Amino acid sequence: MGIGYAALAIKAGLTPFQTVIMSVLIYAGAGQIMIATMLAQGATLFAIVLTSFVLNLRYFVMNACIFNKVEDAPLPVRILSSHLAVDESFAMFMLMEESSIWTYIGLAGFAWVSWIFGAIIGVLILNLLPVIVANSFNISLYALFVALLVPAVKESKDLVILVILTAILNFILQLFIGNWSLIVATILGAVAGMYIVDDETILGESYNKDDDSKSNSCKTKEVQ
Amino acid sequence: MDINLMIILCALVTFIPMVIPAIFVERLNFSTKVEKFLNLIPYTALAALICPGVLTVDPNLWYIGLIGAIIAGGLAWKKVHLGAIVILTVIVLIAVYSIVPMFPI
Repeated sequence: MGIGYAALAIKAGLTPFQTVIMSVLIYAGAGQIMIATMLAQGATLFAIVLTSFVLNLRYFVMNACIFNKVEDAPLPVRILSSHLAVDESFAMFMLMEESSIWTYIGLAGFAWVSWIFGAIIGVLILNLLPVIVANSFNISLYALFVALLVPAVKESKDLVILVILTAILNFILQLFIGNWSLIVATILGAVAGMYIVDDETILGESYNKDDDSKSNSCKTKEVQ
Repeated sequence: MDINLMIILCALVTFIPMVIPAIFVERLNFSTKVEKFLNLIPYTALAALICPGVLTVDPNLWYIGLIGAIIAGGLAWKKVHLGAIVILTVIVLIAVYSIVPMFPI
């Protein structure tokens, strides 16, 4: 996964160092891929920062759930570990019996370090790959997006409709407003989703958590 | 654009909302509506990222990305592991690339 990100980042004109440091400092899989994609398309600084903010706002909810579960941890530890939240670590931790902050840090910290190493390996091997192979890596990001999306929407017709609607909306919008369509379509799509998708699907109760790490909310804890 | 500045700003706008719940553990309680909206964002963001970007994976061959997306989608449907999906899709595309020159569209 980190390799796919590294491929895109390097193509977008980032130096190897910037590519790796982004994994260290920003640490948001889809968010970083979005940044690299937007950079490659020549988006403005403001558009990129705003998009990152909106896309990563969901970690606010995840951390609220996580730190709700580990209330006893000291403040400095909580502050430092708040950087580690990603969808996968969040889902795993919320499904565990264990509620110690150190378990979470072990789990999420490992994911973070792996992601950084993925970027480093990606940067190193890209120089060695023949052109056709490197070209084929372009698809890896989209393969990742599709692979994340399909199991998540598979269980719900409402979500399928919402995803298709957003895709069409973005397709049309980008003809008029270029790069801004990404964020506008994302937000308009989510607003439409408030009406299209029913609460249970998106808030977790009737949801198959094994299939999806993105739609778990705090409810996960109550279900377990 | 100053890419270093961009990285720092993106890191900040990502970290600040994350650290707030770590500091104010007890006082946060958002409505179902807000939570629902925030939970929907990843789906709509992914949808917007895929379309139409997937059609420009190879600017010269628009269908390359489409083939990749269909393969990845099919594998995901079969519950293949995430990493395996990415690797298999790349491998199939390498194969497609070696066939494509024979059938120009």
